[in-house]
Amino acid sequence: MVTKTEETQLKQLENQVDNGGGGAWEYLCLVRKLKIRRSEKVLKHGSSILNDPGKRSALGPDEWTLNEQVAIAAMDCQCLDVAQNCIKALQKKFPESKRVGKLEALLLEAKGLWGEAEEAYSSLLEDNPLDQAIHKRRVAITKALGKPSLAIELLSKYLELFMADHDAWRELAEIYLSLQMYKQAAFCYEELILSQPTVPLYHLAYADVLYTIGGLENVISARKYYAATIDLTGGKNTRALLGICLCASAIAQLSKGRNKEDRDATAAAPELHSLAAAAIEKEYKQKAPAKLQLISSALRSLKL
Amino acid sequence: MAEDLVLDTAIRDWVLIPLSVVMVLIGILRYFVSKLMRSSPAPDAKMAKEGQVIIRARNLKAGANFIPPKSFRARRFYFSNEENGLLYVPKGQATNPQAQMFSDPNMAMDMMKKNLSMIIPQTLTFAWVNFFFSGFVAAKIPFPLTQRFRSMLQNGIDLSTVDVSYVSSRSWYFLNLFGLRGLFSLILGDENAIDDTQRMMQMGGLGFDPSKSLSAEKDGLDIIQHEWALPRFEQRAESVLRKLVK
Repeated sequence: MVTKTEETQLKQLENQVDNGGGGAWEYLCLVRKLKIRRSEKVLKHGSSILNDPGKRSALGPDEWTLNEQVAIAAMDCQCLDVAQNCIKALQKKFPESKRVGKLEALLLEAKGLWGEAEEAYSSLLEDNPLDQAIHKRRVAITKALGKPSLAIELLSKYLELFMADHDAWRELAEIYLSLQMYKQAAFCYEELILSQPTVPLYHLAYADVLYTIGGLENVISARKYYAATIDLTGGKNTRALLGICLCASAIAQLSKGRNKEDRDATAAAPELHSLAAAAIEKEYKQKAPAKLQLISSALRSLKL
Repeated sequence: MAEDLVLDTAIRDWVLIPLSVVMVLIGILRYFVSKLMRSSPAPDAKMAKEGQVIIRARNLKAGANFIPPKSFRARRFYFSNEENGLLYVPKGQATNPQAQMFSDPNMAMDMMKKNLSMIIPQTLTFAWVNFFFSGFVAAKIPFPLTQRFRSMLQNGIDLSTVDVSYVSSRSWYFLNLFGLRGLFSLILGDENAIDDTQRMMQMGGLGFDPSKSLSAEKDGLDIIQHEWALPRFEQRAESVLRKLVK
């Protein structure tokens, strides 16, 4: 996680470097430490250091770390020749290294040579079958090839072993969603909520999935999770507010003709949906007054 | 009589200082030797999985109230059922670390390497100190001590009349052996491998058993009362929105 102070520090350094104030190396170190994606800037400032022999030799052994960082950034920007040069330099220095092998496989992947990249990864996995990054790259390849079912298979196998990896659960959830396998996606989002109960986005996504599955029970649950999102974001999340309104309308429709017990599902917070609608209208009034008419009529058509 | 004991400056020059210097040099040498011999431990899939299972079970325990009751029950069954639950360790199948050590030659090899790099230089230096400097009074500490410290400071001298504040050469060796750790962490960086006391503790605590923590997690999971927290959130959201709309 990036803390506030680190963020301001990063912004300050970024400004300084962009305006030619020096400190490029410090900036690159910070980017690496915080593990954030600033590929274009890393590529620009990193290669300016690497192309300057004086600055490069001043780094000492850190030169190789920089080479790796620039190579990955270059691949992200599709500057494959820069990446190739960096990797070549690393290869010369560390001929047997697995870490360089990974970079090479990544380069193959960036070039779109899926088969060869897959082969390279498999041979790397033989030496170290527990390398999480390589497993994830293989999933990425299957995704790039447009084979989501294969990606699901690989990811499930990976999660069987590394079941506490929430990023993988999230990826799996998104793949399931893209295949409209909502029940499985719901399971993944439950897992995400378990691992980080205070992240509102997981509650929101879970609520979306529940609402999409449909059925009275699920919609009632969805309403609860939208409510949790509102609570966690302080009512700032418009999607959750709209979700509450949609759920209210769906519940009203679904529970028509049911007995009273079912209809009391909203008894805990009977004003929630009208409040949500009011909050939405207020937000539109502040930020997009021209569209207030549209949203009001849409809300009215839900018959709240 | 004890006050009259004057130490020759040659003892300082030829015993006290060389002994310390040699101990430091040997410590540094051992650091590099052990660095050479250290093989990166091959991660074991089963160990990794057990660790991950424990993390996930802990997450489940901590966040149980955030998921619907049905989902929670399904997960609990998945973790702790008695047929193939992830946390269920069948009796007798719990791996005994001792047995595991015999079945895995690498582990024994690792232990041996560690011990070699620890024991051999120690015995050698000890023999060397014993051979050349046995019976020396090498130093005097500037404050008086009680009789109890005699065995610590005057190892190798069997005279009960010598004042306790005199340090024998063999004791000086032991003091160096255990007291130089701070210096090493200054010279070699914090994660230096020469931590004798810790290593000894490790050898004693070999009986760590991962299956125990698995079954502890299982017990913890079994006694959880699931109480869905989400209904409360609706009311909280309502009050949040009320504030917002106002």
